[in-house]
Amino acid sequence: MENVELLENVRALLAEAFSLPKEEIPPDLAFGGVKQWDSMGHMGVMLLLEERFGVPIDAEVIAALTSVPAICEYLSKTGDKA
Amino acid sequence: MSQQIEIAPALPIPAFLVGEVQSKLAYVDENIAAARLSAQGEVITLTLRRPVEGPDRQALEAKVQRVVQAMVAGAFKPKVQVLEDYSDRPVPYRGDPNAGLLERGEMFQEAAGIFTLGPLVSRLIAFFEAQFVALADSFGAAPYRFPTLIPARFLERVHYFRAFPHSLTFVTHLREDLDVIDDFAQHAACGEDGLNAPPESFAPIQTLLSPAVCYHLYFSLADRPLPGGSLAATAVGNCFRYESLNLASLERMWNFTMREVIFVGPKDFVLQNRETGRQRMRDFFEQIGLAYHVESANDPFFIGEFKKQAAFQSAFQLKFEIRARLPFKDSTLAVGSYNYHQDFFGRALNITLPDGSPVHTGCIAFGLERMAYAFLAQYGLETAAWPEAVRKAVA
Repeated sequence: MENVELLENVRALLAEAFSLPKEEIPPDLAFGGVKQWDSMGHMGVMLLLEERFGVPIDAEVIAALTSVPAICEYLSKTGDKA
Repeated sequence: MSQQIEIAPALPIPAFLVGEVQSKLAYVDENIAAARLSAQGEVITLTLRRPVEGPDRQALEAKVQRVVQAMVAGAFKPKVQVLEDYSDRPVPYRGDPNAGLLERGEMFQEAAGIFTLGPLVSRLIAFFEAQFVALADSFGAAPYRFPTLIPARFLERVHYFRAFPHSLTFVTHLREDLDVIDDFAQHAACGEDGLNAPPESFAPIQTLLSPAVCYHLYFSLADRPLPGGSLAATAVGNCFRYESLNLASLERMWNFTMREVIFVGPKDFVLQNRETGRQRMRDFFEQIGLAYHVESANDPFFIGEFKKQAAFQSAFQLKFEIRARLPFKDSTLAVGSYNYHQDFFGRALNITLPDGSPVHTGCIAFGLERMAYAFLAQYGLETAAWPEAVRKAVA
């Protein structure tokens, strides 16, 4: 998947997780950047990533994927299945 | 006549969730007198106060499976990190301290989870308290006194009702109505099911018994910039967490006492002090010869929140428990914890740093009764066998 397409998919996933329009998910958004991205919101994102992209989620991944760029990098390395 | 039933969980329960699921089964139905989950998680055994069959039994089993589904499906395995391990430290006692405590009048149970403690245990608690206050002093922590009651709207603001509904303890009073008060005064009596007063006699609930100490400090700082940009504080207080069937001796009380050392400020300030506090406590535990370890942990969130919140706490290493060994039952007991809340309270309560960003918070908390209980489980009630530092202070 191209980087631009991956970024758009991640923004769409976060928009869904936080019930926000995609326009409110900037490419550099990080944990706490919107009030919905709190602890519960973060775990909602992790569950969606696991479900939609089929990537393994463990404690290290949960702690690392705290921004849109970090999520994109992880998905591109892991081999997304979107 | 009671009844025992066995239920096969709809999903395999992994070992790391067996204890968590078992503890939540207590809240499934008032008819449950005891709940046990086998070590491999394949059989749930319920002891019921009265037999159920047919649709009632199906409804009960459905509720049990709801718990299993909510806690197990999609659960992330926590990463357990051990920061200190002195659990092999030799201790002289292996007996169960409960019988001795009861016989000597050092522990008197008023009701489930509610205990009066005698002179020896009280002196021992005072000794530990003095050490924890010394720890607070080493940070220059300002002393505070907090109430036992806490307004419901405070707890609502930090989402406590969603996270820990099962452990809340509510406070009310008779409505301001002369007829209601007169009627209560003339007819109130305690029966098997508790006080016999009609529910409509009581005022709407505005207040609860406080479940934690540090919350009071955060509420007092709400909706304004943090004066000075950082704060170390300390307080001791009564805490209340209803634990249903899980209430047990001094290990798990409904009404217990916590001493907390609380940090509010920038992230580095909180994390550095939490770590410094841990190192100072390690020296103290060595001095008194406590067998214990410190490992990552999670709070006992209720079923709906458990999966996500516990995984989040584990992943970000927000909570570490001091788990003292209980030799008589070959298990451990959390006697304290090192906690970091990130900027959760700063955001929820609008407490800000000079740059306008939300404060971070953390606390070091000690359960005083548990601390004394764990010590007695390792050293017994005969003070001659106690480490000198403790014996001298308590004598």
